[in-house]
Amino acid sequence: MLDCRNLVVTYESTPVLQNLSIYIDAGEIVALIGPSGSGKTTLLRCIAGLEVVDSGTIHLNGEEITTRSANLRRIGLVFQDNQLFPHLNVARNISYSLKIQGMKQKLIDEKVTEALELVGLTHLSQREVFKLSGGEAKRIAVARALVAQPKVLLLDEPLSGLDKELHARLLDDLGNLLRLRGTTAVHVTHDQHEANAIADRVLDIRNLMSY
Amino acid sequence: MITSYQSTSKWLAVVPVVAMLTFVVAPALNIFIISLNFDSFAILTAQTTRSVVWFTMWQAIISTIVVVFFAIPIAAVTANFDFFGRRALISLISVPFILPTVVVGVAFLEFLPTSIHQSASAIIIAHIYFNFGLVVRIISSRWQQINPDLDDVARTLGASRTRLFLTVTLPLLKNSLRSAGLLVFLMCFTSYGVVRILGGPARSTIETEIYFRAMQLGDVSGALILSILQLVVVGVLILLTTQFGTTKSAELSQMVFSRIRKPQTSGQIIFITSVASISASVVIMPLVSVVRRSILIGQKINFSIWHSIFTDEEIFKSLMTSLEYAVLTIIVSTTIGLFGACAVIYGSARYRFLNLLTALPVVVSAVTLGLGLIITFDVNPIDWRGAWLMMPIAHCLVAIPIVTRIISPTIRDLPNGLRDASQTLGATTWQMWRTIDLRIIKPALVSAAAIACAVSLGEFGASSFLVRRNNETLPLMISRLLGRPGEIIQAQAYAIATLLIVACVVIIGVVDHLGTEKH
Repeated sequence: MLDCRNLVVTYESTPVLQNLSIYIDAGEIVALIGPSGSGKTTLLRCIAGLEVVDSGTIHLNGEEITTRSANLRRIGLVFQDNQLFPHLNVARNISYSLKIQGMKQKLIDEKVTEALELVGLTHLSQREVFKLSGGEAKRIAVARALVAQPKVLLLDEPLSGLDKELHARLLDDLGNLLRLRGTTAVHVTHDQHEANAIADRVLDIRNLMSY
Repeated sequence: MITSYQSTSKWLAVVPVVAMLTFVVAPALNIFIISLNFDSFAILTAQTTRSVVWFTMWQAIISTIVVVFFAIPIAAVTANFDFFGRRALISLISVPFILPTVVVGVAFLEFLPTSIHQSASAIIIAHIYFNFGLVVRIISSRWQQINPDLDDVARTLGASRTRLFLTVTLPLLKNSLRSAGLLVFLMCFTSYGVVRILGGPARSTIETEIYFRAMQLGDVSGALILSILQLVVVGVLILLTTQFGTTKSAELSQMVFSRIRKPQTSGQIIFITSVASISASVVIMPLVSVVRRSILIGQKINFSIWHSIFTDEEIFKSLMTSLEYAVLTIIVSTTIGLFGACAVIYGSARYRFLNLLTALPVVVSAVTLGLGLIITFDVNPIDWRGAWLMMPIAHCLVAIPIVTRIISPTIRDLPNGLRDASQTLGATTWQMWRTIDLRIIKPALVSAAAIACAVSLGEFGASSFLVRRNNETLPLMISRLLGRPGEIIQAQAYAIATLLIVACVVIIGVVDHLGTEKH
């Protein structure tokens, strides 16, 4: 499904990714662990097309996408701090990608309702995003990414900074959601327990690089 | 409210309150009272007045639209990309805004073809030149408060760069675009120097019409009525600007994000290169015309004009007068601005009226201020019309709103914990203020002083009413010399304009350097 080979990224002469290779099967949830500064976020950004690799290739379903623009890759990304569009309410945040795809409004409304049902927040459809709680914002961010039907979903420490109870609840919900939809996902975390709980396979980024 | 200094607020408020009441409120009220002559109101329905008001409105609207349109791509470049000369470009595009309006007028008199002199086009082009740097800085600084991760999210959701701009960036910049637009409209609506130089007798705004009626037709009551009309329009605009400036900040963080990145694609490199080179050229070319004209007599290069600048008694006197007034303006306006800002921030809510009071000179406008001063202080024992002090007073009044707004945010953002630490270490209130507050706000004070200097050196509107034989400043001299025939005299005007350009370039360099150091 997702095949990254020998990715090299340097930043101001400092190597960040050194000949990194990773393969992820369709429907697999892979957790990526490693210490701070080891290149986890950089790898996600390269896969999403938000960073340019110095060398190496990225293939998705057999098709090379190394130099393809981010908006054409159908790879979703959930940020640590959600990044909901502050000027749009919940429903319009979720429907953002559907509008870009040119979907008719009636179908958009159905998809948005479906997405909100999936995360248990149908009552928040018209809410302004700055009024959402931490847990609600997290679910909306995931719903927004999933409604775009990405081929791969990347999650960059999505559960960091949450209190213990919310963390446990969201971890459970996230895992169930991904499995229900059969989403291929890369979940970045520095928490080994979180990685073990959610993933089919846990990889240490340092072991993916050859020096 | 900062409790350590609370008791000082009432003393700090005295000077700005007395100054504003005496020299702004009293003259403005006087204008209203004297104008309560119903015959004078007939001027509002006169055809000439309607034409002037209509011209003032439409040229301001068009100037504003074009300025904002051109500023957006430049702001996109300065807010998002790291490239060689970025800081220099930001400083360069800011130069036109602090140039004296008469210098901008003079620059375009030389730069534009004669066929469009004394036309609306010339005025609009000069207005665009004068204001686009200000709009770029406002929009760019707001753009840097948009988290770049929002751009990335939009891209991963399928948005092209154009769609990202239209659906995410532009909505988030909406308020700053409106504020910047209203500010530019205000500047163009109350434009005086540019219109006087480039408009000729055929083109008048309300501001130049006030001057024309008062000083050339002797129709002071007509001038006063027009001042009231302008006051009302500007007052409404200021209210609107304040309204948009305080709209909820939930949409954007107050942080500045590191959006600045090196260009990654050839398209971005071409975009940056084009925008940067075009905007730099647009700024530089009119200024080069001024310099060129100052050394060209009869199509031959001649540096003797520059020698005469420093040896001609009249010109040298104007130079010294301008410098004297600039020094006075720096000292007085910075002091009053500092006192006013401190009174508001250290004091309780009841001192907030000082924000409005110190902003009044912007509402009243420079020409109306000058007119108000001469009709108010014209009766013994306060017949100060001919006093040398009146012009620097006018300069200070024009500078105070800007100075206050430069200093206030720095004082407001000072962490109170530093003051607490100072007190627990034994500092008295005065020692605490001197060693903590003053030290930290010093760069802002220097920036404010530099801008006050630029304001004074370039002040033309109020000064036009207050000039006497012995106190002609450089902008007034430029205007007078341009009105006289003779290549040498004209070249002298351009040489003086060049001096003012150099001064403004140095000032903006100082201000930006201090701003960089702070970050």
